[in-house]
Amino acid sequence: MPAPEIVLQQAFNGLMLGVMYALIAVGFTLFFGVLDVIHFSHGDIFMLGAFAGLALLGLWGAAGLAAAPVVLPLTFAGAMLVTGLVGVAAERACVKPLARSAPLMTLLATLSLGLVIREAILIFYPRGADPKPFPALLPAGGFDVAGVFVRYENLAILGIGFGAMIAVDLVINRTRLGAAIRAVAQDPDAAQMMGVNLDRTVDWTFFIGSALAAIAGILNGLYYSEIHFIMGIMGGVIGFSAAAIGGLGNVYGAILGGLLFGVLQTMAAAFIPRGSEFRDVVAFAVVMLFLIFRPTGILGEKSVERV
Amino acid sequence: MSLLETKDLTVRFGGLVAVDQVSLSVDEGETVGLIGPNGSGKTTLFNAITGLYPAAGGEVVFRGERLTGLETHVIARRGIARTFQSSRLCLQLSTFDNVLIGLYAHLRAGLWTALVRRARFLGEVRSALGTVRHLLELFNPDLVRRGFDRAGELPQIDRRRVEICRALASRPRLLLLDEPSAGMSPEETAELMKDLRVVREEMPGLSLIVIEHDMYVIEGVSQRVVAFNYGRKIAEGPFAAVAATEEVREAYLGREEASSA
Amino acid sequence: MLTVWAAEAGLFVLVVAALLAERPLALTATVAAVAAALALLRLHPGLRRTLSAAFAAHPRAAWFGGAVLALLLPVALRHSPYWTFVATMALLYVTIGQGLNFQIGSAGVINLAGAAFAGLGGYTVGLLTVTAGVPPALALLAGPVVAAAVGALLFVPILKTRGHYLALVTIAFVFIFNILVNNLEFTGGPQGIKNIPTLRLGGHAFTTPLSVLGLTLPYHANFYYAALAMAAVATLAVWRLHNSWLGLALNTLRDDEIAARCSGVPVARQKLIAFTVGNVVIGLGGAFYAVMVGFVSPPDFDFGYSLAMLSVIILGGVDSIGGIVLGACLLIPLPERFRFLHEYRLLLYGIVIVLMLLFRPGGLWPASVRRYGAGGAVSPR
Repeated sequence: MPAPEIVLQQAFNGLMLGVMYALIAVGFTLFFGVLDVIHFSHGDIFMLGAFAGLALLGLWGAAGLAAAPVVLPLTFAGAMLVTGLVGVAAERACVKPLARSAPLMTLLATLSLGLVIREAILIFYPRGADPKPFPALLPAGGFDVAGVFVRYENLAILGIGFGAMIAVDLVINRTRLGAAIRAVAQDPDAAQMMGVNLDRTVDWTFFIGSALAAIAGILNGLYYSEIHFIMGIMGGVIGFSAAAIGGLGNVYGAILGGLLFGVLQTMAAAFIPRGSEFRDVVAFAVVMLFLIFRPTGILGEKSVERV
Repeated sequence: MSLLETKDLTVRFGGLVAVDQVSLSVDEGETVGLIGPNGSGKTTLFNAITGLYPAAGGEVVFRGERLTGLETHVIARRGIARTFQSSRLCLQLSTFDNVLIGLYAHLRAGLWTALVRRARFLGEVRSALGTVRHLLELFNPDLVRRGFDRAGELPQIDRRRVEICRALASRPRLLLLDEPSAGMSPEETAELMKDLRVVREEMPGLSLIVIEHDMYVIEGVSQRVVAFNYGRKIAEGPFAAVAATEEVREAYLGREEASSA
Repeated sequence: MLTVWAAEAGLFVLVVAALLAERPLALTATVAAVAAALALLRLHPGLRRTLSAAFAAHPRAAWFGGAVLALLLPVALRHSPYWTFVATMALLYVTIGQGLNFQIGSAGVINLAGAAFAGLGGYTVGLLTVTAGVPPALALLAGPVVAAAVGALLFVPILKTRGHYLALVTIAFVFIFNILVNNLEFTGGPQGIKNIPTLRLGGHAFTTPLSVLGLTLPYHANFYYAALAMAAVATLAVWRLHNSWLGLALNTLRDDEIAARCSGVPVARQKLIAFTVGNVVIGLGGAFYAVMVGFVSPPDFDFGYSLAMLSVIILGGVDSIGGIVLGACLLIPLPERFRFLHEYRLLLYGIVIVLMLLFRPGGLWPASVRRYGAGGAVSPR
């Protein structure tokens, strides 16, 4: 049985990962809420956000800006704009037109769209196949707490991540847009009859969800100091599973699922023999088991077939 | 001994009791009408009988054997067939295919025959198609002519007919019809009544339970009527008697209306 | 009858020319001919009707003609081992496509792990021949069996999980497979398994050139003919299953599971049968690939290939036997022909799927109504 400090350390690291998964998962759950679709390319939007962030950082660098407090917010904002717009474009071109037909179609279409985004980065981003170093912009150093080493960058990641989640929670529960999103998620027809503009609400939902993915992408880059064009696959699979674990359509569930997944995956990698090599296998296996045995999630999903 | 008997059958959805200790029976050759306001548990009863919903209590006995707890396809093979409120046809498949599937339990040719002994398989195809054509012809010869057209191209009344043929193809002892006249105009409903008479003639020993909102249809086809409300049986008997029952009128019209009417 | 053969011969000439034309004159002539043919078909409904009628009236002649031309293709391509190889790959995708289509298209069982099942077939061949010295022909037969057996791991999810969840489970499965073969020693790790012995028929090794009608064909032709036989058998088998009571039951449960149950269809059993049959065929394709190429490695069987297989199905036509043939014959040679497309292969497949789903979800050759082969042949439109 490993020492408690090590367990705590890994759990803390897992929380870092979990925050990123949670941000992706919230997107999945929002999309499912308003359109009843699994937007499989969302993982690659996460990857796109990371690359957009990297590209922007390069841009600021070329323009002579380097100071973290200036550059970071600009990068976040810029990447969020890019992914938000791409997300909306994807929704309008590909997701909404197919939302009414068999779920299989949306699934395949969004899966393929993800492939297109992934390959586009591979092909068109300079030396896209290689993992790309991501600049370290968060404060270095840290401090010790009960045997656990807490880095300032970890705090920053947690802070930004939770800040984003709180912001989303506020939007959903305290704004008119949020009310519209909740209404559409519950009953699109009734919402329309109450005057909600369905199209615009769906657009905004996709914008917000995709923007969150950009935040996750940049955080991912900052945490690992590197990004790779295939990061979207894992991000997508885990993000979706986390959302499913929490119950599709349930935002708190998605956050919970994401955090849980991050912690579990990190602990498994640390404590199972050859864990880091098979880290992904463990993640996928957990996903499979969960989907098989508890597909409606811990906090419950919304949908029932009438006979 | 009755053909079908439910004894204190109960179906629950979480806290909601959809079917509340319902006991009813159907004899051979009988047509029973099932009426009641929307949400009173009529379709749920059908679903419980056919095994789509599990019973929370009580049991279903068919031809002397317990059905409760059996899987739907096993129950279907015992001789219970049904139609659905929103007709469940496979619109992409041909009309013939939609009826052929009703014959499924009686079809013998397996994988090996289909792969390797094609001539024998085709023999069964021909005889099965013969049965299907015969059934469709009873209702509308046009359906035979258009047998290889996709079912989605058929008008609503023909889709209902195809669904009934599918149910009849399995040579059931009991046929459950769920709101067959839903969405139909008065002319189409009259056609439906004729169709039900044809069913009667084609299979005289067949028992039917018909859920309907159209009282004209119920009165025309049922020998006995059962009325439901809130998942419970509230009246049973000949149509006139049931229609006159205070509780039944209340269920449909509300308390004040029922007493003043 | 002559119309049918003339049309098929014309198509054959165009295809061969399109594949082989290198010099500017030949290339321009071919492009012009193809464009003219397409334009003619598009703008002359009369021509289309005549052709359709001719093919419908003479199905046997059409099959015969097609078979002859398929057999002659390597002869026409004998100066290009490369294109013979590509043609063989197309046939491989036809085989695998029929298996996958039976699962996804006929039964509605969404399987995104196609690459894993092909990989199971391929790796079985590699392991049996190289590590255990089993003759390749026998190993070839073992591949599909292993694929089907391992597929049993997915039985529970197939029965218990719905649509998008099942998709995710199969995605997880193919990733797990890929990571495992990449990291385990006995599967050769990232290098895979090399030096898989080639097939032998009688004394003739498949790596020796083939002699047909007095002409010498490159050794790739051996695999072409074997693959042609395999694809033909797979297509015929899937066609017969599709046009059987199983096929009817599968389509019904795909479109409306409740109606199927209430009609007495044992839904669970049929789904598992469809899934297993599909895996047998996919595994066979993978096993053949191992013997043909002589080595297997993890990147040969990753998620991208699952999507490539899927694009063949979507392009050709979901649940359409003919569609698979068409889809494979279009999607596999194209990126090879247009060299610059090669790098963009996966991108192309992704775009194809999205566009097809948006605009022609039924595919280029949509599934036609089931006639059981008891009255009327299957015709394209």
